[in-house]
Amino acid sequence: MPTLTINGKQVTVPAGTPIIRAAAQVGVNIPHFCYHPTLSTPGNCRMCLVEASDARGLAASCYHKCTEGAVVNTETARVKAARQAVLEFILVNHPVDCPICDQAGECKLQDYYMTHDHKPSRVTTAKNSKSKAKPIGPHVVFDGERCILCTRCIRFCDEITGTSELTTEQRGDHTEITTFPGRELDNAYSMCVTDLCPVGALTTRDFRFKTRVWLLSSTDSLCTGCSRGCNIHMEHHEGEVKRYRPRLNPEVNEYWMCDEGRLSYQHHNLGRTTAIRLRDQREVQWPRAARQTAEALTAAVAKANGQVAMLTSPQLSCESLLAAREFASTVLGNATVYVGGNPSGGNDAFLITSDKNPNRAGVVQVFGPAILANTAYKLLEEMEQGRVQALYLMRGELPFDTAGRARFAAALSRVALVVYQGPHGLDLEERAHIFLPSATHAEQDGTYVNETGYAQAAYAAVPAMGQALADWDVLSRIARAAEMPLSFDSFDALHATLAATIAAE
Amino acid sequence: MSVTVRITQRPERTLRVQAYIPEVIRGLSVTTRQMLRNLFGGKDITTIQYPEVKRRYPERYRGLHRLMHRDDGQVRCVACMCCSTACPANCIHIVAAEHDDNGIEKYPATFVIDELRCIVCGFCVEACPCDAIRMDSGVHVQPFLDRDTAFFDKGELLSRGTASIATQGGTFKGSSHSHH
Repeated sequence: MPTLTINGKQVTVPAGTPIIRAAAQVGVNIPHFCYHPTLSTPGNCRMCLVEASDARGLAASCYHKCTEGAVVNTETARVKAARQAVLEFILVNHPVDCPICDQAGECKLQDYYMTHDHKPSRVTTAKNSKSKAKPIGPHVVFDGERCILCTRCIRFCDEITGTSELTTEQRGDHTEITTFPGRELDNAYSMCVTDLCPVGALTTRDFRFKTRVWLLSSTDSLCTGCSRGCNIHMEHHEGEVKRYRPRLNPEVNEYWMCDEGRLSYQHHNLGRTTAIRLRDQREVQWPRAARQTAEALTAAVAKANGQVAMLTSPQLSCESLLAAREFASTVLGNATVYVGGNPSGGNDAFLITSDKNPNRAGVVQVFGPAILANTAYKLLEEMEQGRVQALYLMRGELPFDTAGRARFAAALSRVALVVYQGPHGLDLEERAHIFLPSATHAEQDGTYVNETGYAQAAYAAVPAMGQALADWDVLSRIARAAEMPLSFDSFDALHATLAATIAAE
Repeated sequence: MSVTVRITQRPERTLRVQAYIPEVIRGLSVTTRQMLRNLFGGKDITTIQYPEVKRRYPERYRGLHRLMHRDDGQVRCVACMCCSTACPANCIHIVAAEHDDNGIEKYPATFVIDELRCIVCGFCVEACPCDAIRMDSGVHVQPFLDRDTAFFDKGELLSRGTASIATQGGTFKGSSHSHH
C-alpha cells in the first residue's frame, strides 16, 4: 500500500495502482485519450504525462505505478507544455470538421483543445486524407481522418467482446483502424466502441445527423430490453427520446450495453397509440373515459360470476404492478391475475439475458412467486373455454409466437368486455372494447428489479405522448370513478406504499 | 451605508404660467415655425418621401436572411445547427441529411426560417462557421398577409444568395494556409 503525494495531497493506494487512478481518488483529473479503466494500457496517446519524482522523464500516468513516497505533479509548466505539444501533434492531421461531426459537444479532443492548448495551428502542409464516412458494421460508421489512433475500439473488441474484428493497418501517420479482411464490426455490443471513441472517428449510424448532442437533455433510466436492466442515460430533445447511452454501474452493466437494447429507445416514438377509444367513440377525454370504463367494468364484474381476469406484465414497474394488484382485488372484484410479457430470446455470457422483460423479479416481489404459474398461455386456454367474462389487459406484449398471438387475438372475441391499457396498440387494440393509452417507461417514474435482484429506479424523461398517462394514474382514475378509490393518490404515495409492502411481506 | 438626500426646489408657478394663454401661444409658435420650415425650408427637412425616396441602409443593416452558394450553386450550409442553437427566438428549423456526394457528407435537407419569430439579432450569422447564412441582403422584412408566407424555405433563402468569397472548409480564396 504505497503512500504518495499528488499535487500536494497525500493518498494511499493498493500496490500496482496507476497514478491516473490514484489522482482521481484525490480529485485530480488527468487528461487522457487511450486509457480506459476496463481495458489494457498501451500508453500510446501520451496525453496523461505527469511529473513523478521516481520517473526519468515525464511519466505516462496511465501505466506508471504508484510507488512509496513518490511526489507527483500534474500541473507544472513542463507537463502543460508536453500536453500542448501532444495536442498539437494529434491535430496535425485532424480535419477539424466539427460542424459536421456528430461527436462535437462530447468530444475529448475538443474539450482538451479548449482547456490545454487553445492555440491556432502552425501547420501549413496539406493534411493526410483517409477513409471518410465508411460504414464498418451494421451500426457503426468510421471516419479515418478524425481518428487519433488511441486503439480503444480495437482493445474493446479484443478484450471485452473477444471478437477481434478490428486492427490497424499501415504505419506512422498513415495508420488507420480497419476491420480484418472479409469481416465487419457486427458483434452484439458493437456500438460501445462509439462511446469509447474519444473523438468522432466511430459514431453510430442510427444517431447519425439526428440531433446535435448539446441540445440533448439526459435522464437516468434503465434499458427494458431484457432482465439485465442496464443503466442508461436516456437522452432526449423536445420531448422525444433520441438515444440510449450506457451509464456506469459496476454491479450491473459496467460501461456497456448491447446494440439491441441501445436501439430499443425507438419503441418510445414508434407504433404508439395515444388516443382513448371507448367502443366506437373516439376523441374522448379522460374524465368521461374513466367514468364509462368504471361503469362497464362494474357491470361486467357483477355479471361475470367471478370469471374476471387481469393480465399484468413484467414490462411494468413495481409501482404499476402494485397499483394493478390493488385494482384487481377491488375494482375487478378479486380477479385472477396472469403474467404476460415478451417471449424469451437469446442470451450470452456477458450482459444479454434470455428473459426479454425488465421486471419479472418485481412481479414475484409484488404478487408472490405463485403468480408465475398463471401464465398468459393459461389465460388463453381459459378464454378459449369461455371461462373469462371480463378481461383487463395491461400492456400488449405476450409470450407467444405470431400464431399464438393470432390465437390470443381471436380468443378476445369470446370475452364480453376487454379493456386494454398500453402505450402501443399492437394487434390487440381493435379487438378490445376499450383502449386506454398509457405511458412508456420514458414517460413515468418506476422501480424495476433485475434478474440478480437489484431494484433500480428509472425516471420520467419526457412528457407522456398524446392522451397517455402513467399506468398508476389510469388505474387510479377508473377506481375513483367506480367509487372504490385506490389507497394512494400520487406516485410518491404509491412508491412509499410499495416500500412498506415489500418490507412487510 | 448612509443615504444621500438631495432637496430640489420645484419651479415656482409664476403668474405668466398660471395665465395659460401666453404659454399656449409660445407652444403654437414652435409648431408653426416648424410647419413653415417644412413647407418652404428646402434641404434641412428630416422627413423623407418614402416609398418614392428611400434611405440608404447602413452597410451592416440586418435585412432578410439569405443562404450562400457553393461554387457549383449548391447550398453552403452543412447543417451544423450552430445558427439554430444560437437563435434566441428558436426560429430556424433544419433537418440534416447525408449527401450523395462523398465530398459534402452533411447538408440541410430542409432549412426553414420563421420570419415572424425572427428578432433580427444576427446571432445566426455570427454563429455560422462556413459563411452559409447572411443577413446582408439589404431587403427589410415585408409585412406578411398570410402566415404561411412567413416561413422561408431553402429555395427561397437560396434565391437571394450568391457565391461566397470564402472557400468551403475554412480557407479564404487566394490563401494557401489552412485555417482553423
